[in-house]
Amino acid sequence: MSPDLLIALVMLTNFTLVATSRINKAIQVAVAQGVLLGLMPIAMGLGRHLHILAMAVAAVAVKGWLIPFLLRRAMREVQIQREVDPFIGYTASLLLCAVGTGLSLILAHSLPLNPGAAPPFLVPAALATLFTGFLLLVSRRKALTQVVGYLVLENGIYLFGLLLVEDMPALVETGILLDLFVGVFVMGIVIHHIRAAFDSTDIRHLAELKD
Amino acid sequence: MPTLDVTLILAAAGCWAVAGLLPLAGPRADRGGTFLGVLGSLLGAGAALHALLAPTAPGLSFTFWGAPARIEVDALSAAFLLPLHLVAGLAILYGREYWPLSAPKGSGRSVRVFFASQVAAMTVLFVVRQGLLFLVAWEAMAVSAFFLIQTEHERPEVRRAGWIYLAATHAGTLALTAMVILLAHRTGSLLWNPVTGTGSPLDAWILLLAMVGFGFKMGLFPLHFWLPSAHASSPSHASALLSAVMLKAGVYGLLRVSGLLPTIPRGFGGGLLALGAITAVWGVGNALAQRDYKRLLAYSSVENLGIIAMGIGLGWTGRAIHNPWLVALGFGAALFHVWNHSVFKTLLFFGAGSILHATGTRDMEALGGLGRRMPRTLLLLAPAILAVAALPPFNAFLSEWILYRGLFASLDQGYPWSGGLALVALALTGGLAVVAFARFFGTVFLGNPRTDAAVHAHDPSPTMRTPMAVLAGLCLALGLASPLLLPLLGRAAGGAGLTEPGLLGRGLGHDLRLLTALEALLLTLAALALAWLRRQPAAAERPPTWDCGYAAPTARMQYTGSSFADPWAALLPGRSVRMHRLKGLFPKPHALHIEVQDAVGEGLVVPWFVRMAARAQRLRRLQPGYLSVYVLYVLIALLAAFLWPLLRARLLG
Repeated sequence: MSPDLLIALVMLTNFTLVATSRINKAIQVAVAQGVLLGLMPIAMGLGRHLHILAMAVAAVAVKGWLIPFLLRRAMREVQIQREVDPFIGYTASLLLCAVGTGLSLILAHSLPLNPGAAPPFLVPAALATLFTGFLLLVSRRKALTQVVGYLVLENGIYLFGLLLVEDMPALVETGILLDLFVGVFVMGIVIHHIRAAFDSTDIRHLAELKD
Repeated sequence: MPTLDVTLILAAAGCWAVAGLLPLAGPRADRGGTFLGVLGSLLGAGAALHALLAPTAPGLSFTFWGAPARIEVDALSAAFLLPLHLVAGLAILYGREYWPLSAPKGSGRSVRVFFASQVAAMTVLFVVRQGLLFLVAWEAMAVSAFFLIQTEHERPEVRRAGWIYLAATHAGTLALTAMVILLAHRTGSLLWNPVTGTGSPLDAWILLLAMVGFGFKMGLFPLHFWLPSAHASSPSHASALLSAVMLKAGVYGLLRVSGLLPTIPRGFGGGLLALGAITAVWGVGNALAQRDYKRLLAYSSVENLGIIAMGIGLGWTGRAIHNPWLVALGFGAALFHVWNHSVFKTLLFFGAGSILHATGTRDMEALGGLGRRMPRTLLLLAPAILAVAALPPFNAFLSEWILYRGLFASLDQGYPWSGGLALVALALTGGLAVVAFARFFGTVFLGNPRTDAAVHAHDPSPTMRTPMAVLAGLCLALGLASPLLLPLLGRAAGGAGLTEPGLLGRGLGHDLRLLTALEALLLTLAALALAWLRRQPAAAERPPTWDCGYAAPTARMQYTGSSFADPWAALLPGRSVRMHRLKGLFPKPHALHIEVQDAVGEGLVVPWFVRMAARAQRLRRLQPGYLSVYVLYVLIALLAAFLWPLLRARLLG
């Protein structure tokens, strides 16, 4: 599998994420994106480094199994409705995502980055995924979809990190994974408590907490 | 390797920091907290004395967040550390009984914590020589003071005073932050090293910002508006710390920052002199009309800070026209008055605290006749009252005398307008201060009790009296020992830009020795006369005050404080009198209402502040409480950061 194909698939998952109306599907797509990204270092031919290989395996395990497991359990426990319930409609989100992707292509072209041996579309894909994550965080109403946005955001950062993966110590990468795991774990608990306190997981209720 | 002085000062700050944590551990640790505080004060005062006497300034350089930083204990720092640790050590002893740990609503604990944190912050503030650390210590001091003011936060007027103070101090910090940035531009680093070479146009801006920022803390007219209510609201021993030391942090800042600059632009000295003169007259004029004796003391602080500002202005004038004699007199008077004011204002606040403790009211018109009920308090408070009225042989008389000398010397130096104005203002201030404190003394201590609150008053216990006795002795000792202090003052003024530290001692020594010898002689004569009078047999029985041959005199027949001050206070703007015209030969009972409001502070500046605060509420729409909106802010910032390099290339070419 070539890295370009993987990048194209990641871009496609971005669009799917903003256009999907079901929480279940959004989680599935985000997980698929995580697994695709976990395979990325191997596709880039970095499999000869043992620690990068170990990291890729860990990423696939965490993003492909642990996180979806936690999210599904959260969904089951709080009995969330299945709709995504967005602030911004699906078509508008899709358009915004397209604008973000186009913008990241321009940005990646003019930013003073030196990709070196990395595939040419790695930086734009990373930026596009970052923007998609932000878009999901901003435009979705349910606490669980916020977690999905957070996941996608982290995927963008991870993709960006691949640019430097040969120089980046494995410690930093595993740090990111651990951070993500803790983030999802904590948010799972928070969702449970929001549900208990407000009888709903709509994050608009959190505005009542402001000073 | 840090030297002895630096180690001692850091140890003092550490002692106070730990003393602030101990009350949290429980009531049994309170004694330990007091012990540590007193120990810290002894260490700090000892180090400050040593640094004042030593010819060199020991320092310690280190890095802080990757930036070079430095602490240094020079004579100017020591001149402020000394009153800080004197006042703090005595106040923590006084506060043990005045505000016990068992005070309601946990206020005893919070007072101890924030008192100690403020002392620790100010200790650091007076020795750091780096812009960022200075701001950090400044904020720690200001925020601790906020919590001290808010001690009795269940009362609405205390909350209001606290918020006004907080707004004022943050407005000042804003100016100081800008000043620190400009100063870093001027010197090339955050370190505060004296700038060599010639002046630059930036100097004027730095001085202007320093005058605004430090002026808020000093209470320079019209920035004094926060001061009276804040001082009246906090517990008396905390008021003493605020008034005697925290206001002086502004003085220290002005002297320190101006001392870094190679020259003072013309006009600033005269401007500060005039501003100080206005502050002094305004402060004492309002002090005259207050009914609340703690507000009276606070306005008297405004007055004294005005006098100190006059000294600094005179010193700046001297630096602008390169006349070291004026510099020595101006800064010498300012620093000496800093010491004197610290001593007598602390004593006055302790005395006010004792009266409040005994009677429970801050209204002078409810008191009266306390002289017979609290004779020891009267005796201990008398030196402070004479000192604040600038009467010989007490200390403030001598610092004002040095200032008079300086102002007269400035008259033939090409700055006649500001010098002449300041001379008149200083004389007026002195006279009005005598009236204001004669009124305070007469209304509170003489006559008969006006209400039941004053009837059962009694002297405080020795725990509270001993710190007062120490301060009362110092009021006299600082005055009589002033010739010995001149070299120290000269050395301290060196940090503010005086080139010849010995000048003050050489120029004034002779006159001052003569003056103090005369005072000592008169004092001895007075003591002898008193002793001779005591030998006479006492009168059989003293008749009640205000008897005057009336059959049934009442306490309401006495002069009130307001009627005593009326001839002088009548000119005060912001004073409204409501009274009905009396008609007929046998008029019906009538009422007279006199209300005093600080026409500038409470009349103009505070309402303006409140309006600004209401307008600033609109900014709260930026904080809707939705997580999504916050993430949107992050996204916008990120996009802006990405797009800026692109657009800059297009726009700027």
